[in-house]
Amino acid sequence: MKTLKILTGVCIVALVAAIIFGAINISKTTDFYAENPEEPIENTTAIEALEDFNSFSDATATGYSIGDVATDFNLRNIDNTYVSLADYPDAAGFVIIFTCNHCPYSKAYEDRIIAIDKEYKEKGYPVIAINPNNPTDYPEDSFENMQKRADQKGFTFPYLFDEQQEIYPQYGATKTPHVFLLRKENDQPIVKYIGAIDDNHQDAQAVKNHFLKDAIDALLTNQQVNPETTVAIGCSIKK
Amino acid sequence: MRNIYLVILCCFLFSCSNREVSTATIVERDYLTDLLKNPPEDRVQVVNFWATWCAPCVEELPAFVAIDDRNDVEVILISLDDASNLETLVNPFLMEHKITPTVKLLDDPYAAEWIPMVDAHWDGAIPATLIQKGTQKMFFNQTFTSAQLEEEVLKFL
Repeated sequence: MKTLKILTGVCIVALVAAIIFGAINISKTTDFYAENPEEPIENTTAIEALEDFNSFSDATATGYSIGDVATDFNLRNIDNTYVSLADYPDAAGFVIIFTCNHCPYSKAYEDRIIAIDKEYKEKGYPVIAINPNNPTDYPEDSFENMQKRADQKGFTFPYLFDEQQEIYPQYGATKTPHVFLLRKENDQPIVKYIGAIDDNHQDAQAVKNHFLKDAIDALLTNQQVNPETTVAIGCSIKK
Repeated sequence: MRNIYLVILCCFLFSCSNREVSTATIVERDYLTDLLKNPPEDRVQVVNFWATWCAPCVEELPAFVAIDDRNDVEVILISLDDASNLETLVNPFLMEHKITPTVKLLDDPYAAEWIPMVDAHWDGAIPATLIQKGTQKMFFNQTFTSAQLEEEVLKFL
């Protein structure tokens, strides 16, 4: 009987607590409604339009569009030399790929990037990979780990470290992998394609559109690149 | 006396039901299409694109878990992890981080085809969040703090 009394006591306390907790929740909700009367729909649509416009202009203002002149850089390669576009006087253009070690999407594309470099380097379009990440956030993306990864995978292209994180914002790279295909026109590197390598990161055999290869092939045959920009899921670059 | 126990039992069951850790299930593109085509009228739907490997996504998850506790808000977390990692990575992650909102793993690698359906300005970097209710819709390609997310959600209420 005593146990039953204790049990009852415990349960009553719990019940009271539940009621109080519930009451707090209810009062919170009430306050919230009182302070935030429903806004008219027109208002929100205006905000949406403004937000959309802002986010769009932010994204483009800081990065390249098709036809822009791409900046040169001087970044440290995994072999401790420094690499610039100016080091390639004979190149017809460049396949600049912002990529890194930690991102599963980057890893999924490593073999395909090597294949593209092997195929197109000879045709005048060498791959230059740049790791834009801050290794404080992603220790896997440190310079030492870049060296290890390149060695393991047998990278055939420079793998540069954007240590000051100054180059990727100029290009407008937002994620890894993120491709910028450049063609030299009057000795200036012009942006011809921005986006994804292809449309299936999971399975190279199931790719429907080889966006990057098609773009380089178009440049090699003096045809219009189409599409000039594509989207793909990627790992956000962290400042 | 017996009635009181019953009432208490019901209270506990009821209060716990909303707080259970989620289990992710695999969905295909039609799920996303339906979600985008039919925004609810009676609640704010917060659709967040994330993945276990995405550090900024993981950082902001607590904000989404918190706002999902509101009765007038429904959070749907769309994981972009590989489907083969559902049981080995995603579900253990949900358990470890006590993720209570609905989680769906979108198994559709042809992202270039569905990214523009979500928003014309999205280039595919995650995290990305869509807030929608009825005819209202806002898209964000950014990381949220709890306060920022609440502020944006409140605009819909």
